[in-house]
Order: sequence, then structure tokens, then C-alpha cells
Amino acid sequence: MRRIVTHEEGEIFDVELEEQILKANDELATRNSEILRRHGVKAIDVMGSIGSGKTSLIELLIEKLNRKYRIAVFNGDLTTTIDSDRVARHGAEVIQINTGKECHLDANLVFKALNSVNLEQLDLIFIENVGNLICPGEFKLGADKRLVVVSVTEGPYMILKHPFIFMEADVVVINKLDLAESMGVEYEKLRSDALSVNPKVKVIGTICRTGKGIDKVVEALGI
Amino acid sequence: MHELSMANSIVETVIAEANKRNAESVSEVCLVVGKLSMLGLEQLRYCYKLLTKDTILEKSKLKIELEEGKVHCGRCKFIGPIKIREDPQYHIVYPTLECPKCGGEVEVVSGRNCYIKSIKLRQKIG
Repeated sequence: MRRIVTHEEGEIFDVELEEQILKANDELATRNSEILRRHGVKAIDVMGSIGSGKTSLIELLIEKLNRKYRIAVFNGDLTTTIDSDRVARHGAEVIQINTGKECHLDANLVFKALNSVNLEQLDLIFIENVGNLICPGEFKLGADKRLVVVSVTEGPYMILKHPFIFMEADVVVINKLDLAESMGVEYEKLRSDALSVNPKVKVIGTICRTGKGIDKVVEALGI
Repeated sequence: MHELSMANSIVETVIAEANKRNAESVSEVCLVVGKLSMLGLEQLRYCYKLLTKDTILEKSKLKIELEEGKVHCGRCKFIGPIKIREDPQYHIVYPTLECPKCGGEVEVVSGRNCYIKSIKLRQKIG
């Protein structure tokens, strides 16, 4: 969308550009979601802070669902294959996406990962985003659902401090409930904070170490 | 957040456009940033200044217009500014996807964009 709107006196030109900077990623995300839909594959974008339990949650979900679905995991990380090695133990296909220095996955990286798997052989993909409560929210990947994991050990305020990513979420998982009491953090307060930012989000409490709450996460994701 | 990569895209886009139009220099870049995007304007300006050094944008003015966060309610059909909540206990002010009118659930219709609206160029003479 480019056109010249005015031509001032002298040699100054006014050029109207309407050049979208953020939209470029949205368009790629739409392309990803079309590719996924064409192959009948569902994708879940798993976001959350560092150490909140994203990988543990994905491990549990694979254990729960691997008899029902053929599952792959895209592991986004700055570097290392620690998480993908963990996930691979559960028998799912794992694609490691090392972002180098970027603090989030973007639709282009996910597109590349989609090209490296055989989508005919898959039903479900978990995309583990880079640990971060800010940037991933702004970059859609083309997933069907977006899930944010937070844990009580991050303290009582992290939802209200990062409202934008929770506005983007379909499901919020509040993990490490077994530590809530020693942390002095109330699950109900975190839950009401999430609903206060986004009234349509589904909030589930979990203890990934023991598997508590996983059935409810599966139900909330509609898979 | 990722202001540096955003500023980089902006500068690259403007330089490409300016070259195509045979420009000698760029005097102004007008950017629209949504209030619900996660871009920090201060950081964006700083990165822009760094990246435009020794380019035809070096002396350009970066004008930033803010785009309001607007929502649409599926239930009562409200269209207007997003509701802002305050938690005085922690001095936290945050937006909510609750309809300001009926309390229903809203969708964001604007305020997430970042785009280059227009640029002002000085063309090479002759």
C-alpha cells in the first residue's frame, strides 16, 4: 500500500507509506495456521517465565496424550538442547529452535520448524516459547491456542505486572501450588488477577512435579 | 522490549523507499505506535538515533503518533477505549479485556500496530 499524497513546493516530498512493521509477523502467523489447518494439526504456543515449568508441563502433556495423538515439540531457547533432550525422552519428535539472542520465537522461525517435520505424520505440536513474560505475547506464531505458565515462586504480582501476555492467552496455568504456602502466595489471588485482565481466560492450578491438575489443562486446551 | 529490531526494520524500510525515490536525505519519519503494543518509545527513539547515524536519515525527525487501544464488545456492541483498572495498593494500572459498558468480554480492534505512516524526503537536484 504505497502512494504519494502530496507534492510540496521545492524538492521536499511527502510520502505516505502505511508500511506495517509488526504486521509482517502476523501475516506469517496466518500462513502457519493455514498450513497447520490443511494438515489437520493442532498447535499450542506455551509461553511463560524462566523456570515456571513450561518444559515440565509439556512432558506431562505428552505422557498424557501420546497414545491418542502423534505429537511433536518445537523447543525455543536461546541456546542448548537441555529442554529438547528432556522432551525427547518421552518419545515425541523434537525440533530445537535456537533463537541465538532473540528473546521470543517468531512466526518465521516456526515456519522453518514446520518445514522440517512431516505434518502428515502429526496431530499435535507443542511450541515451547523462550522463557519471557513480555516479548512472546507480541509475536503470534499461528498456534490454535496460547497458554501461559506462571508459578507461585515468581511471587504474587507477576500477572498484574505483565498484563499484555495474559490478554493474549487462552489458558493460564499456575504451577507449583505445593509451594504456595511457603511462598506466602495465594492461588486465588493469582487466579483473580488473570481473570481481571482477561475475563475469558481459563485458569488452572497445577503441580507439575506430581502431575496434579494436568487433566484439567488438557480439558481447558480442548484437546 | 525488541525496540532495536523494530527500529532496524523501520530504518531499513525508510532507506529502501528513499533510495527508490532518488532522495538525498530524509527529513522526517512519522511512525504510528499502538498504546497496546509493547514498544517503549524512549528506547525506540534511542535505537533510532543510533541506527540512523551516518545514513541519509541522520538528521531526520522521528515523529511518533500514538494509536489508542480500542475494543469491541460482542455482547453490547460497544466500540471504544479499552478499560483500564487500577490497583492502588501497588500503584499498578493495567488494561483489561472486560467491557467498560456491560462487563462482557471484548476483542481488541486497534492499538497493537506499529507502522510507518509517512516520510518526508529531499530529492537530489538534477
